[in-house]
Amino acid sequence: MKQMSDVLFLDKRFGFFLYLVVEAIMFATLFATYIIFTPAERGAHPSEVFEWKTVALTSIFLLSSSGTLLMAEKGLKNWSRKWIWVGLVTTFLLGAIFMGLEIHEFYKYAHEGYTLSMNNFLGAFYVLVGLHASHVAFGLGWMINLMIQFTKDMPRALFIEKHKIFNYYWHFVDVVWVLIVTIVYLPYLF
Amino acid sequence: MRLPIIGYVLSDVIVSWIITLIIGGFLLWWLTAKRKWPLILDYIGTTDNRKIGTMYILFAILFFIRGGMDAMFIRTQLAVPDNDFWVFQADKYNEVFTTHGTVMIFFVAMPLLIGLMNIAVPLQLGANDLAFPYLNAISFWLFVSGAFIFNMAFFFNAAPNAGWTAYAPLSNDTFTSGPNNNYYIFGLQISGLGTIFTAINMIVTIARLRAPGMKLSRMPLFPWATLVTSSLILVAFPVLTVALLLLMFDRFYGTSFFGGEFGSPVYWQHLFWIFGHPEVYILVLPAFGIFSDIISTFSRKRIYGYTSMVISITLIGLLGFMVWAHHMFTVGLGALANSVFAITTMLIAVPTGIKVFNWLFTMRKGVVRMTTPMLFALGFIPTFVIGGVTGVMLAVAAADYQYHDSYFVVAHFHYTMIGGTILGAFAGIYYWYPKMTGKMLNEKLGKWHFWLFIIGFHLTFLPQHFAGLNGMPRRVFTYTWEDGVFLFNFVSTIGAYLMGISMLFVLWNLFKTHRSGTSSVDGDPWDGRTLEWTTDSPAPEHPFPNVPVVDRLDAYWYAKVNQTNLPQTKDVRPDPISIRTFQPILLAGVLMVMSIGFIYHWMWLQILGGGSVLAFFLIRSWTDERNEAYRKGEKS
Amino acid sequence: MKKTGWILTLFLLSGCSLRVLDPASPYADKITRLIYLSFGIMMLVFVVVMILFVHFLKKFHETSDRVDEIPVDESGNRKLEITWTVLPVLLLVILAVPTVTTTYQLTSGASQGEGGQDKERVIIHVKAEQFRWEFTYEGGEVSYDKLVLPLDKEVELRLTSEDVIHSFWAPNLAGKIDVFPDKETRLVFTANKLGDFQGKCAEFCGSHHALMRFETTVMEASAYETWLQDQ
Repeated sequence: MKQMSDVLFLDKRFGFFLYLVVEAIMFATLFATYIIFTPAERGAHPSEVFEWKTVALTSIFLLSSSGTLLMAEKGLKNWSRKWIWVGLVTTFLLGAIFMGLEIHEFYKYAHEGYTLSMNNFLGAFYVLVGLHASHVAFGLGWMINLMIQFTKDMPRALFIEKHKIFNYYWHFVDVVWVLIVTIVYLPYLF
Repeated sequence: MRLPIIGYVLSDVIVSWIITLIIGGFLLWWLTAKRKWPLILDYIGTTDNRKIGTMYILFAILFFIRGGMDAMFIRTQLAVPDNDFWVFQADKYNEVFTTHGTVMIFFVAMPLLIGLMNIAVPLQLGANDLAFPYLNAISFWLFVSGAFIFNMAFFFNAAPNAGWTAYAPLSNDTFTSGPNNNYYIFGLQISGLGTIFTAINMIVTIARLRAPGMKLSRMPLFPWATLVTSSLILVAFPVLTVALLLLMFDRFYGTSFFGGEFGSPVYWQHLFWIFGHPEVYILVLPAFGIFSDIISTFSRKRIYGYTSMVISITLIGLLGFMVWAHHMFTVGLGALANSVFAITTMLIAVPTGIKVFNWLFTMRKGVVRMTTPMLFALGFIPTFVIGGVTGVMLAVAAADYQYHDSYFVVAHFHYTMIGGTILGAFAGIYYWYPKMTGKMLNEKLGKWHFWLFIIGFHLTFLPQHFAGLNGMPRRVFTYTWEDGVFLFNFVSTIGAYLMGISMLFVLWNLFKTHRSGTSSVDGDPWDGRTLEWTTDSPAPEHPFPNVPVVDRLDAYWYAKVNQTNLPQTKDVRPDPISIRTFQPILLAGVLMVMSIGFIYHWMWLQILGGGSVLAFFLIRSWTDERNEAYRKGEKS
Repeated sequence: MKKTGWILTLFLLSGCSLRVLDPASPYADKITRLIYLSFGIMMLVFVVVMILFVHFLKKFHETSDRVDEIPVDESGNRKLEITWTVLPVLLLVILAVPTVTTTYQLTSGASQGEGGQDKERVIIHVKAEQFRWEFTYEGGEVSYDKLVLPLDKEVELRLTSEDVIHSFWAPNLAGKIDVFPDKETRLVFTANKLGDFQGKCAEFCGSHHALMRFETTVMEASAYETWLQDQ
């Protein structure tokens, strides 16, 4: 009989990949919505709203967090507690900074009068980027939970499983961000 | 009667309060008197696929009664011209047809099929459970939660009223400002999430838990249909989720995606039908699978043209995504778009036709046994063919300018949905009832049910084609003598009552079967062909201690014909872990609380409910059943 | 068979007077022909299926002497399966060609005239609102819930909505065209029969959707002019 944890992990991984397909389609629909309504006929034009500095800064932090997560992955492979800690903590910090910048960005836009009811470009922008941001926030909570679980006595196979599933999630969220940058921001920055 | 929050209440709501209280009180008394509570707690805490499947079907029947009562009100109001039946005119009527449609699609047809999938698919594959038993319980309770939210609306005098398609801008807060359509959004959102999880569960189960030797090319057609359906769900439902999300933003937070100054009402229609058209194939493909198994079993022949059957289900699934705009021929998309979608729609007739002929030729040279499930399967063929050919007629874009949104369309989709999905679900319930309960439903009453239902059905919906051709639009609460549709409507109403009466035979049958304690049946009462019939009836929680080894399609049947036993093996992959847990029902509860917070714009309740929902992720993570199982694995 | 009997009686009783099949314009007439064509082809399919269905049931249902019979195993038949793939495709091609041509004829008629206006065309602006139809004629004359059209003259309706989506439907004269708040849709047809015809809103639009009706009267061109002047 095969090792239970190996087989169940493969089940779970496949199931989670299917779930990511679902997420991908949701984001795709929101991207379509954004493309259809942007730029809007009235109200703010994207080029007057977006700033390349914010986009660059947020991207640097979020994308590098995918890189630091690789350290944790390496730790999982060789079961090095040190690497797992380093990977998780740096990823969390980078993600948290991204989150802070994102909240700041939204706050600033709203402050300048660019609210989501101004026109459909902004409506679509806030729903799409907001959904992504809530994914990042959820991921941050997830990481805290992982770190606590890491300090507790948990079967190694189970921790690895939980960690790996999280990794897929985080990389997925990063890929969505790359798409957001190329589809939402870039066409209107230069 | 005027009440706070609830508003001005008409007599229908008051009557339903009273009836619900009486029935609810009686039920509580009965459950206590009969000491049924331990049984109920056992079902609530279960992750077993058979029990969850049974609960899906029970709840579906409950909502079927609700949707059916809506149908009766509709037909009574439309029985004669210029009618004033009770309160069912104007707004009330609009609520009734909206809930009728939504309930029947999302809370009757879907759970009936998902219930049958839960019961039959793992057994047919030789699997001991679905891949994720805990997730399965979550799916089920999400469905219950969504369904309760949606059905609650009526009792709080706020039934949704923009049609099951909720076309914007009518569904925006500008034109329907009450909480009514908020119920619609949250009911569908939450049950939809449950459906998505079920689809994931089914795909992983089918991909990874098949019995040794069961290649995909040896898999029975019901799991095949389930596989294709689940893939469709995976792609179609997220689109609905986003559409509802955007609609919610329109209604709650002042965006105007679908209405207002700069919104696009047609965009809602695109999103809705990109979901909605695959949805009708999601509903009908599992029924095709059920019929394939049943027709093959009761003809004592293997299914004719197995490979082309599989290819056609897949093709129907694929084409299902390329036809959505045929619901929008009259919005002015232009001649090119209309022509393209007309042709793709017509193409669907080809794989469907292949299936019909293969079913017919499965019976040829067979021994056709007229059991109740087979009768439903046989009733399905002509009925669905009528629905199919009117479908092709509707695909003729120019002609659809006339049919569109008329009773012709109403007749058409009832022919496909009832003729396909509902007949399929009935067939499946009669067929797998022994696997669910260990008892057989009474055949005589089953046949009464079939004949009354099918005759009532054709009486109801055949005349509606002609009402439509005579200019009767759908969703109207009245018509005049001059319209010349009285006769059609009157016959239709008679038929609807006949269908209603036929359902009493189902209830009587259920009552009789369980009351008289008819002797339990053995594992294989129908002389079946697939693996579910190798297990006991009812199927135990761990049906395959030794997993059968399969070397061809219908291996069990050929083993019986050759008077051998199927070889078995113990050397299989580890089973998914089933547990007892009350987390899913609690999650359903807090989701309901959160939704009510949103529906009535009570911020504190939103935060309370939302926070609790998030807490459930933590609870789940810390009570993971794998913890113990893996620990044992590491020690050994 | 019971069902086919029903179809026939109902059809004979009412076939000729059903509004959709009783066209009063070349536009509606084209659709009527298309409906008959598609109905014919589809009936052919239905009859073939029913003949096989009844025949197989009669011949192969279980009889007392066949209770234990195990039929010969057969997995399929390539030739037969190709037959019932190819034949439906042929039938669909027969149907698809007139479908596309008619769709182009009827739909392109609606989007023409974007630029230069056709002098021969009578242009009527239609405004739909919950739950009323407002018709504005070329000279600024207005009528409510009553549309008057000249005989044998091409009419172009330009439709907009004040609130939600409605749909303009006068089954004897033309197919439906939806009416939107955010864009203008068009419908072009020529009435060629005198008389009064029913019109209805065909897109669910709220409480009194069922009562949102209008009457269309087709009159001689001269009577039409007089009627306009009386408004």
